[in-house]
Amino acid sequence: MHKLTDSILDKFSMDFLRNQVLKNAYGNDDTVIAGLDPRVLLIWYLFFGLVPWFINDVVLLLGLFLFVVLTTRAARIAPLVLFLFCVGVFTQTGYLLVMALFFGGDSSLVAPLLVMTLKVAVVSLASVTVFSGLDPDRLASGLLWFGCPDQLSFSISFAYRILPVLMEEFQNILLSYRLRGNPPKKQGLIGKIRYLGYQVKLIIQAFYPLMLNTAKRSRTTVEALELKGYRYALKNPGVKKMRLAMLKVTRNDGIFIVISVIWAACSVAASAAIA
Amino acid sequence: MDVKSRMTQSQKMMVFVLSMSLYGLATLFTELIPSFQIGIVEFSVEYFLFIPLTLAMLFDPLSAALGAATGELVFSEIMLGQFGGLGELEKFLTVTIGVYIAGRIVKDPRNRRVVAAASIIGVTVQQLMGCVVDILKVQFAVEDFEAVAGLPESVFFTEGFACLNDILFSGILFCMLPAMYLVPRLYGKIEPLLGVKPRDKETQLEGGVFTPKNIALILAGFAAAIGAELLASGGYELIDWEADWAGNSTSIIVGIIVALAVTAVAAGLIRSRAGRKASAEYRNF
Repeated sequence: MHKLTDSILDKFSMDFLRNQVLKNAYGNDDTVIAGLDPRVLLIWYLFFGLVPWFINDVVLLLGLFLFVVLTTRAARIAPLVLFLFCVGVFTQTGYLLVMALFFGGDSSLVAPLLVMTLKVAVVSLASVTVFSGLDPDRLASGLLWFGCPDQLSFSISFAYRILPVLMEEFQNILLSYRLRGNPPKKQGLIGKIRYLGYQVKLIIQAFYPLMLNTAKRSRTTVEALELKGYRYALKNPGVKKMRLAMLKVTRNDGIFIVISVIWAACSVAASAAIA
Repeated sequence: MDVKSRMTQSQKMMVFVLSMSLYGLATLFTELIPSFQIGIVEFSVEYFLFIPLTLAMLFDPLSAALGAATGELVFSEIMLGQFGGLGELEKFLTVTIGVYIAGRIVKDPRNRRVVAAASIIGVTVQQLMGCVVDILKVQFAVEDFEAVAGLPESVFFTEGFACLNDILFSGILFCMLPAMYLVPRLYGKIEPLLGVKPRDKETQLEGGVFTPKNIALILAGFAAAIGAELLASGGYELIDWEADWAGNSTSIIVGIIVALAVTAVAAGLIRSRAGRKASAEYRNF
């Protein structure tokens, strides 16, 4: 229990979180993946995000898995994200395995669950590559090009800009609450539970001023948007064209596509050879 | 809707932005806080759904609901790179529906009892829909679901238990109690900041909670959620069954997906070309 409160409090050191998230968003502009055209990457994701669900061949899945591991490496994803990915994939299927054994399954369970884990892993690594590897602005333009609602691409660009501000503000509010508060003693099991409850209550209470401040800020944001003719620009095709003019397919994109196709073909061939 | 209560388009946008940034921030934290288990009871700060619930009870429910769902998608899925593709549509729709229903129920935000009931109903609706979709998902993703001994029971058990656990634990601790605390306190304070009149007898939403149109919309949304999830994780049953005579189902599906990709590119090209033409015309004016 003590470890738990500590680990939660550690995680809540805002600087750590902020650094990780910002690093993930803006820290790797110079990677191979970030330099690719977002449209190419999105189509690549359409393939690697959907196809694995329909494949049951372990060799083929392993081949695809190796490939997405390489692309994830090339995109230099922040360690925190990778850690979350591992925890997510393995706790989920591990838990299912334990429960299935509990209900009288045997070792025949392992194979289908392994296949399912591989599928999930391939799909999520592909999404990590595309959505974390890309600069948010480029990602938003790519989505816009495919005709996604403009609100979504606005939300992505806006989220990446507002997040550091919001986090800092939340941290300040939380610290001021901590300074004024009188936390219960954390001795004994009951004391520790009470302490944990106190921390959670503090976080919830901190949302009261945060909500009011954010309300003010969102009004300013929307008014600024209106002043710049945001909703008019939404309907004007000329504006959209200007925003999408930065997208260009280069030779690197071609190389990336060729490598992907060759790799997938080799995996298919390998699985056919083994089978 | 009453004329007086009608929010302007930009005020709705404000609610959207507000709900998106707050709930996004909160889901970012919940994604990062580790959950811990005592036995098989999982205690996780599953979600801070009280934020969109509070906003939906005070402002326009639909904007708040859509904002919350978008915020979750953008902040915790796309920013952390955990975007699950089409499957995320399921979460998006269930969150929207749950929050929207809860927001419509409340007539007077100062009445704590109604606020509590509404938030629990919202959570329950959201969790139940998520649970059903999850069970269906595993059924489609695992080959020979029924044939694997022990798997069906364990899936039903774990999913059902997780659902109940979320409703009782997260629902009461992290949705109902905070909403009861926040909604009456924020009432009358947060509305002027957006230039909106507080919700009262005159400005409340007309037509009750469940107009036929609402119910139809909600059902359609739920069906779409199931459809999206199944499309994301399968379409499997159908293909498997055909595979008896089609020989190699994988190649067919890969073909379909390649075709989809090509179509997407073509659509994008056509669109951008049309945009160019339109903008050229626009310049001629």
